[in-house]
Amino acid sequence: MVSKRFVLKRLLMLFPVLFGVATVVFAILHLSPGDPAVVIAGERASQEFVNQIRSDLGLDDPLWQQYIRFLGEVATFDFGQSYQVNRGTPVSEILTDRLPITIELALLGQFAGLLFGLPLGILSAVKQDTWTDHLTRIGALSGISIPIYWSGPLLILLFAQFLGLLPTSGRIGSAYFVDPVTGFILVDTLLAGNFAAFRSAVTHLLLPVVVLGIYQMALLSRMMRSSMVEVIRQDFMRTARAKGQGSKITVMKHGLRNAFIPVITVIGIQFGSLLGGAVLTETVFEINGIGTLLVDAINRSDYPVVQGTVLVFAVLYTLVNLGVDLTYSILDPRIEQ
Amino acid sequence: MSTETQTETVERGIVERLRASPFLSQLVSNRLAVTGIVIIVGVVLLAIYARLTYNISDLMATQFGTNPSEASPSLEYLFGTDGQARDIFPRVLYGAWYAVLYGTVTVAASTFLGVGLGIVAAYYGDLTDNLIMRTMDVLLSFPSLLLALALVTIFPEELGLWRAVGALTLVYTPRFARVVRGAALKVLEDEYTDATKALGATDPRLLVRHILPNCLAPITVQSTLNYGLAIIDIAALSFLGFGASPGEPTWGMMLSNGVEFGLFSGAWWWSFFPGLLLALTVLGFNLLGDGMRDALDPRMRETVD
Repeated sequence: MVSKRFVLKRLLMLFPVLFGVATVVFAILHLSPGDPAVVIAGERASQEFVNQIRSDLGLDDPLWQQYIRFLGEVATFDFGQSYQVNRGTPVSEILTDRLPITIELALLGQFAGLLFGLPLGILSAVKQDTWTDHLTRIGALSGISIPIYWSGPLLILLFAQFLGLLPTSGRIGSAYFVDPVTGFILVDTLLAGNFAAFRSAVTHLLLPVVVLGIYQMALLSRMMRSSMVEVIRQDFMRTARAKGQGSKITVMKHGLRNAFIPVITVIGIQFGSLLGGAVLTETVFEINGIGTLLVDAINRSDYPVVQGTVLVFAVLYTLVNLGVDLTYSILDPRIEQ
Repeated sequence: MSTETQTETVERGIVERLRASPFLSQLVSNRLAVTGIVIIVGVVLLAIYARLTYNISDLMATQFGTNPSEASPSLEYLFGTDGQARDIFPRVLYGAWYAVLYGTVTVAASTFLGVGLGIVAAYYGDLTDNLIMRTMDVLLSFPSLLLALALVTIFPEELGLWRAVGALTLVYTPRFARVVRGAALKVLEDEYTDATKALGATDPRLLVRHILPNCLAPITVQSTLNYGLAIIDIAALSFLGFGASPGEPTWGMMLSNGVEFGLFSGAWWWSFFPGLLLALTVLGFNLLGDGMRDALDPRMRETVD
């Protein structure tokens, strides 16, 4: 069992990290050479107008005042208003629209990675130093070496362009419109009972998920293998076999449970690369998640959106790792010390 | 006869020397690591060849009139031509130069910064340690590519691809600092550091001459693994439009063009060749890094039946 004290301690440790994250984001935006007031006013605006906007935004205030105000806004989830998207839309509103799209993609990619990566890793470890093992390892190493912005275009060319089997971009066919209830397109289409739309969404998401999943699969199978190899060597495994248990049962019953522990940590750490991968996947497949939102916002100097997006990504990453730490301590109670 | 015994002695000498250094012998006997080294050497040679042979402004200029536009690969244009009628083959080769140059600078800079911060944190401890490592922790709580994207914006646009180098250096530094701090703490426990101090060595001398050399193994592995990552991340930033200027023959930029313009016309060769070389280069570094880690980790050394 996890003690309440441990959970509390981990939750309290969250605050300094989030405070640091907010500070870094504030620093980055104030170090950027662009002037937000000019961005809003437009290149040809008069100096007076620019000055007016600057004082409206409070950009004339001393830096420490701006910093305190920023922290206050962040604490209340108020990221300001976008300079560009329908001018004046609250950033938090844009993020709630776009975030589920990225999360859905990331979760599906992670799921695909787990589904194929874990069995491959176990197989590789059990058949250590055989051809199966070598092939799996080389495959996994290649998998982590192939950039998403290469495998993505190649799969689009093959399946969409040449074979014409799958759509090239987007999340759903333009003929379908589904009310965004949860924001997850697969869930929303099912909720609406529109199976044709659901099928369209599945065919649209297939390639992005495969592309994102290949990388995760490769990573996880490597981790699963090395963790399993270590566990197989342990004394308790030999004891179990000596007791007369079949090799397969030993592996399943005693090995997996112990081998999963480090793999779970890795899933947490790799969540960052999963999000990075999602950004690239969204760009390749023209999916309107927060990845493409961030890239567009940087290109248009839409500072509030950049701020909000980067903060949300960092918070997500931190929370997932907190969850992983807690799961870890349930599986291995020694970790609390 | 005599020459035979001579070579035999020499060979035995090499074998013995390798045996004395389990790390090197492990590495050499690891076929995957050797494959990695071969790939890396090949790419570096290619990079130098391209740098010496081609003129960068020729590669960037449009070639309408000289070459056909969007021609598929043929004997004359091995990798085909792009929408600006540029021959893709020399551009892909020149991309190796970009990858090696910018990758090396990124890895060198983040190693240097990370090693410095890590050793100082471990040696001085207390407040210094806390200040440095908590800052590193904060930087590590961002997903790396996204932090790099945000950091790119603080550098002026004129810097081009160096913006990506600057951003990624800041992103990778904490990883090195963490690894080095851990290794240095272990070294500091050893008695010879006390002995050196007792002999009157100054702090900088102790850190550079005694502690640093004993942390080299984990630093090398981390650098190698980060090399591949740096190359893939620099290309990713180029691909997303941050870094290389349009027309510059970096692999990321070529892939970006391939997606933007080549995808719907079915011009697969725009994306295929630059990506192939990029993936191969990264694979080389991953193979070597993996081999190094196996050779250094004693638990991995013994094979079990």
